[in-house]
Amino acid sequence: MDFAFIAQVFPKLLAGLPLTLLLAVLSLLGGGLIALGLSGLRASSWIGARIADFYVYIFRGTPLLIQIFLIYYGLAQFPAVRHSVFWPLLREPYVCAVLALMLNDAAYTSEILRGGLRAVSSGAIEAARVAGMTRLTMLRRIVLPLAFRQALPAYGAEITSMVKATSLASVVTLMEVTGIARAEVSETYRAIEIFLCAAVIYLVLVTVIARAVDALEQHLSPYRRPAGARSVA
Amino acid sequence: MKPITVKLTDIRKSFGGQEVLRGVDLAARDGDVIAIIGASGSGKSTLLRCIPLLEIPDRGEISVGDAQIRIRDAGHRFSRAERQTVSRLRGQLGFVFQSFNLWPHMTALQNVMEVPLHVQGRPRAECREEAEAMLAKVGLADKFDAWPAHLSGGQQQRVAIARALAMRPRALLFDEPTSALDPELVGEVLRVIRALAEEGRTMLIVTHEMAFAREVSNHAIYLQDGRIEEQGPPEQVFLDPQSERCRRFVGMSRGEG
Repeated sequence: MDFAFIAQVFPKLLAGLPLTLLLAVLSLLGGGLIALGLSGLRASSWIGARIADFYVYIFRGTPLLIQIFLIYYGLAQFPAVRHSVFWPLLREPYVCAVLALMLNDAAYTSEILRGGLRAVSSGAIEAARVAGMTRLTMLRRIVLPLAFRQALPAYGAEITSMVKATSLASVVTLMEVTGIARAEVSETYRAIEIFLCAAVIYLVLVTVIARAVDALEQHLSPYRRPAGARSVA
Repeated sequence: MKPITVKLTDIRKSFGGQEVLRGVDLAARDGDVIAIIGASGSGKSTLLRCIPLLEIPDRGEISVGDAQIRIRDAGHRFSRAERQTVSRLRGQLGFVFQSFNLWPHMTALQNVMEVPLHVQGRPRAECREEAEAMLAKVGLADKFDAWPAHLSGGQQQRVAIARALAMRPRALLFDEPTSALDPELVGEVLRVIRALAEEGRTMLIVTHEMAFAREVSNHAIYLQDGRIEEQGPPEQVFLDPQSERCRRFVGMSRGEG
């Protein structure tokens, strides 16, 4: 192993970290909002619930890589898309990657949210109703806080899996950590050193996030966790 | 005569074709302690749950303080104005559940402060002071920051009573408040309820604790098959009931059956 080379390539890869983080943050934010929308849709009516189910079925049932390809290469086939006002956006690989990650994350997040909501006990809701809480107050003060606490461990896993999934954006030319790594490898043919460096960067990132989620959970629900329990990154 | 606080008129309710309440009338005056007894399935819990409209009766009239709701047919949809009345009605009642139903993500003190602070919109300092006083009153002055999951059943139920009191209700409703408790924890909860009765609070208590019901109430109601079969002063209902079925029920619970 050539440590001098590693010391030289590591900062280059780190230059891709801001883009990796930006992709992750944007897709988690967008995905979270769409997931809330899907929850609302699911609660709205029978047909709404079927639509939400279908959405989740499609996006969880197909590979993220295919979804990225479909959006990046596939949409351009349609003249209507090419002539629409969104085309300047949709031809950007960056936008396509965020869009695919976002739509994919929404499917997983909405299921996590659904599990969290289902775990809110009917007793807690009844106590809120009988106290004269309005629907909105009940949602804000009782239902969402309880659902969020319940969903937090699973959502933490979703955050880390999204961070890792951003590496797929490299296939549509984005120069985030993996994209830079691939470019370096094709120049130097030193795949082991470079990809190991990239792997270490993701590993550190994921570890930091998992610890942060653990700490948040400990802070929010100190009554729930047995001492010493820890989620796996 | 003191003013009427809670009044029910001709309450009817069916579940899937099964008539659970067949026209119940009830009036609680200020300071009344009404014990509601009856066998399982007699409709007593359903009756109590109809008062804050946790169950919507098929028919009947409910009034609590200045809020009044009339329902004419099953499947009634509340108008916007009616929903506001329901909120106002609920705001004047404190309800204590069999299974406590504390909010698990809040400490004891937060549970008690929640409604005064976030529903009634009273100043935070006042809410906190009053919540502390309520918890002290139920004997939990050392448990302000405890999580419900870390409290015993009896302690949780006392927090729930403090939570109901902090709403400054006109009447307190107890739905079998000791039925979910281990026997050795029943006493501490009954002591708290007894102390509230002695303060002159208006209360409706659904319970299986016959001795307690007799001692604490000034009016007792025996429900059978969704109707009031017998009612009157507790000495009469518990010791010398006119109805044969009530006599058998209270006899059995005294261990004479």
